[in-house]
Amino acid sequence: MTFDKITMDHGSGGKLTLELIENIFKANAGLDSAILGDIAFTTDSHSITPLFFRGGDIGKLSVSGTMNDLLCVGAKPMYLSSAFIMEEGFLISDLKKIVQSMLSEAKSANVEIVCGDTKVIESNKGFYVNTSAIGKIIRPIDGSKIKEGDKIIATGNIGEHGFAILNERENLQLTSHLASDCAELTGLILPIIESDLEIHWMRDPTRGGLAMCLNELCYKRDFGVEVFEELVPISQEVLSISEMLGIEPYYSANEGKMVIVVPPKDASKILDLLHKHPLGKNASLIGEITKDHPQKVLLNLSYGTKRLLSMPIVEKMPRIC
Amino acid sequence: MQWSKFKDKDLVLSLAHGIKQKAKKFDRLRIMHVCGTHENAIARYALRDLLPNNIKLLAGPGCPVCVTSSKDIDAIINYGIKNDCTILTFGDMLRVKGSAYSLLSASKLGLYVKMVYGLDEAIYYAKQAKKDAIFFSVGFETTAAPVASIIKSVNLPENLSFFSVHKYTPNGVLELLKAGKLNIDALILPGHASIVSGLAPYEKVASSFNLPCVAAGFEPVDVLGAILMIINQLEDNICKVENEYERLLNYEGNKLAQKALNDIFDITDSIWRGLGIIKNSGFEFKKTYNYLNAKLKFNIPFSDSYTEEQKGCRCAEVILGTIEPPQCPMYAKICNPHNPVGPCMVSDEGTCRNWWEVKGDI
Repeated sequence: MTFDKITMDHGSGGKLTLELIENIFKANAGLDSAILGDIAFTTDSHSITPLFFRGGDIGKLSVSGTMNDLLCVGAKPMYLSSAFIMEEGFLISDLKKIVQSMLSEAKSANVEIVCGDTKVIESNKGFYVNTSAIGKIIRPIDGSKIKEGDKIIATGNIGEHGFAILNERENLQLTSHLASDCAELTGLILPIIESDLEIHWMRDPTRGGLAMCLNELCYKRDFGVEVFEELVPISQEVLSISEMLGIEPYYSANEGKMVIVVPPKDASKILDLLHKHPLGKNASLIGEITKDHPQKVLLNLSYGTKRLLSMPIVEKMPRIC
Repeated sequence: MQWSKFKDKDLVLSLAHGIKQKAKKFDRLRIMHVCGTHENAIARYALRDLLPNNIKLLAGPGCPVCVTSSKDIDAIINYGIKNDCTILTFGDMLRVKGSAYSLLSASKLGLYVKMVYGLDEAIYYAKQAKKDAIFFSVGFETTAAPVASIIKSVNLPENLSFFSVHKYTPNGVLELLKAGKLNIDALILPGHASIVSGLAPYEKVASSFNLPCVAAGFEPVDVLGAILMIINQLEDNICKVENEYERLLNYEGNKLAQKALNDIFDITDSIWRGLGIIKNSGFEFKKTYNYLNAKLKFNIPFSDSYTEEQKGCRCAEVILGTIEPPQCPMYAKICNPHNPVGPCMVSDEGTCRNWWEVKGDI
């Protein structure tokens, strides 16, 4: 697709975001972090409405997202920088809360915040946080070893962040319990990286949800993905709000989950490790790599039928009725 | 994951088996539904793949976005830009093209448009706005009834008016059948819309055109259950209106909602995109509410000459069930969800959009 202007869909985390990275930024679109010898480096900018939400805030989100990006390439997070762009008039008390969240999340990951930057812009222009981080590569995970028959694991219930934010941002009041899953996953994932178990690929399924993550997994590759509907962990709360809005959970963002591709021989051992951690108690084997339909993600429905889990192009909207 | 009993695997497979067995008696059955949410459920659960080849499940004109005329979209865009109004409408409507622009693309020309989830939110934004705000009021009786009910029950801000393009499903279907535009053997009636209208308005459809009509909910068990009920009627050589959606729908419909609709709106002729003017198929404000009717309040001009469809777009044939989306040469090539040429590719209720999402570019 060709465009002369940036649209909101370029920021949705879907196909247009991927094309933007490939065609304009020329970055390595396959990895969330750069692997520089034995160091991994990543950066991420964060804007979210509302800034404070059930389950987290922009501070927690900015640290956890960056930590999880480092983990994806097999690195142990070490140091973090942060930069704030704040509108004039922003409350100091809110800033304190955000910074406290960042410190708490960094402590949980055993990471030090070592430098930062502050800019103030005109009022009503928003509040943004950039975080960059480096980590020590324990072992590089770059997707080059993915093979047919590899198993795909989701570390927990999907879709919670996206629906929690939508519910609060639009004041839908559809559920009172749903919270964002926003969390840094060092405690869950590092033991696996440090074990002798094989990991072929990892990605945190953020914007675009599980569907986008799995499409990225097989994007321009010679294999495809099969997912089994009955095995995908989804909470009753998410199912309910999904039904109400007409948006499938597969497309709703996650901020505290990981999708892991592993060889069959290690799948059950990795699941056992995940189940031992509170953040991995709902981990499930959800699918596998196949050569049957390269570059496509197929969802096996419980009725024995199959359908495509397509790469999202536009942000999903609640239906009219 | 846990599914509701209306998604129950054993029940779904048992219904599919029953349909396959009974359908053997028929050469070909063309069953049409008239609800975008049905198409969404059918595509999402790949229900067509559970049916035998001699049963064709067709998507009719049941997506409110798809049947909104480009003439109406042109009119609201032109008026909004010239008079610096705030246009408020549902997200699905933003990407549908008029003859040249969608509401979203017209924002580059200076149109101020704001997406809302419902009229209550539109009222909130109108109160914030210092200029005229127009709610582009779209949808079948499912959305028309809440709009009517809110209008009756709250104090509206003085700067808010309504551009109604609401459609009335039963009469739309009836007139299309009268005009011989639907080549079908049975109808699955829309569960949500029928909760408002009730099932009585469909009696004429069943009796005049010898069509079994079954109102259905939106779960796999509902859709397959409705198909089985239709086959049973055909087997017994009867054509009547039946209710599969008894857990939420009763024959009389929602009397309060019907009263609200009758109090606020008159049934009038209405333009359905690609299908032309359909008699008695729209909701327009009663004279006593002219002050809320943006078309009259602001004398919004309509162009006499306009292109109803984008050149080459075959959405009209899709919503009449005469072709399937991949038969349109533009489908998945130049028409996709980011660049929808025709309205059926826009909404999650649109047939082309549903096919594209779960079948891709086949």
